[in-house]
Amino acid sequence: MANNTWKIARRSNTQLPLVIVLALAVVLVLLGKAQSGLFDRARMTITDWLAPTLVSVHAPVQAFNRWVGSIDDLFNVYKENLALKDENARLRQWRNVAVVMQGRVSHYQDMLHAVPDPDVNSVLAQVIGRASRPFLQTMILGAGEANNVKPGEAVVDPRGMIGRIYLAGDHTSWVILLTDLNSRIPVNIASADGKAQSLQAIMTGDNTPMPALDTLSQLVTLHPGDQVVSSGDGGLLPPGLSIGTVVGTPGDYRVSLLADPSSSEDVEVLGFRRPPEAAPAIPSSQLPALAAGLPPAAPPAPAPPPSLPVLPATKPTSAPPALESGDRDD
Amino acid sequence: MAAPDTARLVMGTKLATALLPFFCGLLGVLISNLPVTLLGGVVPPPLLGFIPIYFWCLVRPDLMTPAATFAIGILQDVMAGGPPGIWTLAFVVSYAVIQRQRDAFAGLSGVAAVLGFATATLIVCAVAYGTTTAYFLRIAPLGPIVGELAITVLFYVPGAFVIGGVHRRLVGPLRTDF
Repeated sequence: MANNTWKIARRSNTQLPLVIVLALAVVLVLLGKAQSGLFDRARMTITDWLAPTLVSVHAPVQAFNRWVGSIDDLFNVYKENLALKDENARLRQWRNVAVVMQGRVSHYQDMLHAVPDPDVNSVLAQVIGRASRPFLQTMILGAGEANNVKPGEAVVDPRGMIGRIYLAGDHTSWVILLTDLNSRIPVNIASADGKAQSLQAIMTGDNTPMPALDTLSQLVTLHPGDQVVSSGDGGLLPPGLSIGTVVGTPGDYRVSLLADPSSSEDVEVLGFRRPPEAAPAIPSSQLPALAAGLPPAAPPAPAPPPSLPVLPATKPTSAPPALESGDRDD
Repeated sequence: MAAPDTARLVMGTKLATALLPFFCGLLGVLISNLPVTLLGGVVPPPLLGFIPIYFWCLVRPDLMTPAATFAIGILQDVMAGGPPGIWTLAFVVSYAVIQRQRDAFAGLSGVAAVLGFATATLIVCAVAYGTTTAYFLRIAPLGPIVGELAITVLFYVPGAFVIGGVHRRLVGPLRTDF
């Protein structure tokens, strides 16, 4: 504040514009709530425009992040090495189990003439940007609509699901991470021991590293290590995508994600469209006519009896007299 | 012919210089919202676009107008990727408070000046947090927005140094003409 000159600057008479601008800002929020397409288009235009710069900047930034991360790792190399060897041995055992199970499943599918799962097309994309902001956690991919990437599609890395495509431009796309405040994914929770029946829930992000599991009954008890996979409800995401494992306590169950978006370099965008299921054929006699307030459908006319040999018309003699007269004495 | 050209050139230079606060705000928004995270995204990006707004709202409110604040807020909204209008509203509300209490804010110096900026940023973050909570109809976590507040205040000291230099060398001499 040299010479105290800044304080004597002229005061602008901006009360009226300020009120107008305040009102415009409120309108903007309300408009954005109702229709955010204009903002989304502007975002994608700017991101497409910035894409070459982001690609150039990405490599040194990634190297810097790796270097910073490696400082911490240096102190844990020996311990981590032992843990990895132990985990590797256990994974080999699981691999054998998986191979046996895969063979068994294939055998059963052949026996049952099972309908194969719908095809999932995937697009390989490079992560060219990341942003972690107070109200948005996102990453930017170097693939867009020109590569058949569409909003809503799942984004996975070799470890598991990372998020969904939020906006798709021509050559770039924004991914909304599973940890983001806006993320809601229908999931299945399978018990780790495989004994209990799987449960359904909604996994909601809240900008913390572990998304919460919502819409679970208070009576449900989950166990740490239970597997969380996508349920495929809604038909937008393929079912069975690995997401994470359950952690936490009753009332505050959360999901420890398998994938780490902060270190993913190349990801896959899964283009999944579930084919529309054909409704089972319902006979007209079972239509809910009564529920619609219509008179019940007339019973179908009895089928003509099979042709029998014509007998001579003779009065039966063995019928009881009471039935013949229509009177009952009971 | 030389005199009118010179006058036009001087006028154009002065006009460009008068727009400098606005462009500084836009540049701050662009830099802080580049989708590049250092330190694995643990540290949120500072609100660099708000530092010029605060500075010139105190020093030259005729050059940092509500409309300029509105435009900087819109760019912040577009670049930040969150719900539209959140940062625009937050910037404009904070601008209104700073303008009403301009004498109190402008009289601060040293650590008090940083605390003054922290108060203005607190208003920005509080408005953004409240609007986001109302927008999503759920309580957003406080940690990230508190981190944003802290890192923005931390960046104010070097930011004000740079902006002060720009003001002294380029904007300040225009006081009598604009």
